[in-house]
This record gives sequence, structure tokens and C-alpha cells, in this order.
Amino acid sequence: MPPQFAAKRLGKELQKIHNSLPPGIELVSAEDFEEWVLDIKVLDNNPLYKDQTYRLKFKFGGSYPIEPPEVVFVKLPDRPIPIHPHIYSNGIICLDLLGQQGWSPVQNVESVCMSLQSMLTGNTKNERPPGDEEFVRANRLRPKDIDFYYHDNNV
Amino acid sequence: MERSAPRAILLKEEGNRLFKQNDFAGAEGYYSKALIADPSNQSLYTNRAMARLKMGLWEGVIDDCSACLKLDANNMKAVYYLSQAHLALRHYDDALKTALRARHICVETDDKNLSAATAQVLQCKKERWDDAEKKRKRETSALEAEVAAMFERERDEALKEAADMDEGSKTEIREEWQRKAELMTKIFDQSRTAEERRRKMPDWAIDDITFEVMVDPVITKSGKSYERASIMEHLRRHQTDPLTREPLQISDLRSNLGLKQACDEFLEENGWAADW
Repeated sequence: MPPQFAAKRLGKELQKIHNSLPPGIELVSAEDFEEWVLDIKVLDNNPLYKDQTYRLKFKFGGSYPIEPPEVVFVKLPDRPIPIHPHIYSNGIICLDLLGQQGWSPVQNVESVCMSLQSMLTGNTKNERPPGDEEFVRANRLRPKDIDFYYHDNNV
Repeated sequence: MERSAPRAILLKEEGNRLFKQNDFAGAEGYYSKALIADPSNQSLYTNRAMARLKMGLWEGVIDDCSACLKLDANNMKAVYYLSQAHLALRHYDDALKTALRARHICVETDDKNLSAATAQVLQCKKERWDDAEKKRKRETSALEAEVAAMFERERDEALKEAADMDEGSKTEIREEWQRKAELMTKIFDQSRTAEERRRKMPDWAIDDITFEVMVDPVITKSGKSYERASIMEHLRRHQTDPLTREPLQISDLRSNLGLKQACDEFLEENGWAADW
């Protein structure tokens, strides 16, 4: 798909985002069609995430939306990495929707944010993925190149 | 210069090298020499057309593409470049006709340029509509000016006839025509803003992958329609329905003719939507 397709589609998504976003999702910056930053909040009273705001970074390739965007949580003084058995402490997210197999081109930035919101909302485990420390220390791969094993789809 | 196919290929490679360095004039020169050596090589025509496109030599592009299409009427590149040149020259109908033809060839031959050809169809429709719209707007304001001038003439005529009457009657005449002129301007303005307000993009016309108006919608087993180019691009990587993730093959796709007609008609009246 020619690269202007990603830009065109992202332009339209941005237009929509400027008009309205679901509750708990806010656009922080979208300077170009390569990298966008959004903040998300969990809206129910899950004690693990109550009163916290989390920062997401989206990176788009020229083949978006045929290929998934790269999405990670970013750590800042007032933006922690949410605790979750599928989120590594360096912000890398293990979600099948964001992998080559689980992605679908009808997904978009808004729907990804909403999926992450509901992934947090439904979680009760106050823990990191198994092997988190080792993974964070050793991993130099880009998130999209990691072949996650989606061992537990109930979390 | 002698005629020889191998010599033409060497000249073409030199042309390609210059083209990559953005030396389009230099590249065009080598392609021309290559064409003298081998006037039956189609890629020489399309390469020279591409170089000429870059230089804005539209007539030259049309010549090259036409020559190439005489050798092979189904040369996708030649039809595609031809459409671009026609569009640049504002030959809107020819541009659209050739863009549709390029798209058709892509579908028939499973050509990877289907997305680009589909985008060209939309671009042609949009520019053709923009042009018609500009003309219409020009005509409307010309009409408005004409009516305004007529009002003034009528008013002056009435004032001349009333030359012997008192100042009060003359003021009345002036005010009456002033009122009419203001009402007329208001009505013209209203028609302009009503048109802007009508611009709503209906969801049914939109491809959920590119977010553009569909040109050639195809329907999947789940009942959802997508632009053919988009869903093909997806199915080349994953043979699944984007919505349900059920297995989906290219051979499962069917044209959605009713939706196609609706999209065509919508675009015909709302050309702005091709680039909303």
C-alpha cells in the first residue's frame, strides 16, 4: 500500500479524534503521522488503577492500518506503567490485538485505547508478567518483533 | 543509430540510473535514444512517460502512453500515467475514463498497484467535481451581479420618471429598491451556506480500512463491505475476515453492485467527499 495511505487514514482518524474521544482518553500530541501520544484512564473503581493516568505512545509505519501500530506505555514522573500480568515494567504490552496475528485493519487508535482500558479494568492481579526483570534487562527488540506467546487469554 | 534491442537495454539502464538521481531530463534523453534503437520495447515508453510526468511535460506523456498502448492496450502503467497527464491538463472525463481502465486492469491481473489506481479514480472524480463546482459558483456570482445591475437600472428609471415629484417620494423609491437588493443578496447567501451544511459523510459509503469513499466495494461472508484494494491488501497478509477473524479467501469476495451504484451516485453529487 503506498505510504500516503497511512497518512490519509491517520489524517481522518485525527479529524475524528479532535471532534470527540470516549471518556478517559485524551490526545496529548500528534505532530505528524509517525508518532502520536495519548493519555488513558481507567474509569471504574479498580483499586489497582484508581486516580492514575497512563501515557501511551503509538508509532505508525507506512503500511498502517494493514500492519498494526507499535503501542507502548511510557514512564514519566506523573505517568507510571500500569501493573498488569501482560504489561512489562518497561511499558511493552503483550496484547494479541497489537500483534501481527491479532491485528485487524478495522481497528484504529481509538479502539486500541479502549481495548487497553478494558484490559486494565478487568484485571485483578497486582503483578508483572513472569520473567519481567529478565525481559526488561535483556530485550532490545522492537515490540512488534517480539513473538509473544499468548498463554492466558483470560487475563 | 543502429537498431538493436540489447543496445536499447543498455541505454535504458543509463536512463534509469539518471532517473534515480532525479535527473529527469537526462533520463528522458537516454530513453529517447533507447527508443530509436528499439521502438517495440514497451517499458521504454512508460519509463520516458514517467520522466516526462516528473517534468510536467503532459503532452509528451500522452504521446508515450498512446504509443505504448498501441503495442499493448492492457499496459497498466501506460494507462495509469495517461490518466495522470489528462488530469494535469484538466481533461477530466478522459482522466477518469483512463483511471477506471487502469483500475480494471489491476483487478483483472491482480496487480499490486490496485490501491494507487483506486486513489487515482477518486482524485479524478474529486477534481472533476471541484471544476464543475467552481464553474457553478462563478455563474452564480455573475448572475447575482447581473441582477444587482438590473435593479439599479430599474431604480434609476423609476427615479427619472419621478423627476417632478417631491423628495419624499424619491426617497421612497430609493428605499424600496435598496430593500429588494438586500433581500436578493440574502437569498443568494442562504443558498451558499445551505450547500456547505449539506456536507455530511454517510458511514455506508466509507471503507473502514482507508476511511475513503468506496469505488469498488466487495462484500465478505460477514456481510460487511470494503474497498476491493484495501481488503485485498489485508488478505495478502492474513486470510481472515477483519471483523470476525473467520477464514476468508480472496475468492470469497463478491462485488457489492448496489452499494457501488449508491457510492457512485453519492460522489457524483458530492465530489468533495472524495477528499473529505
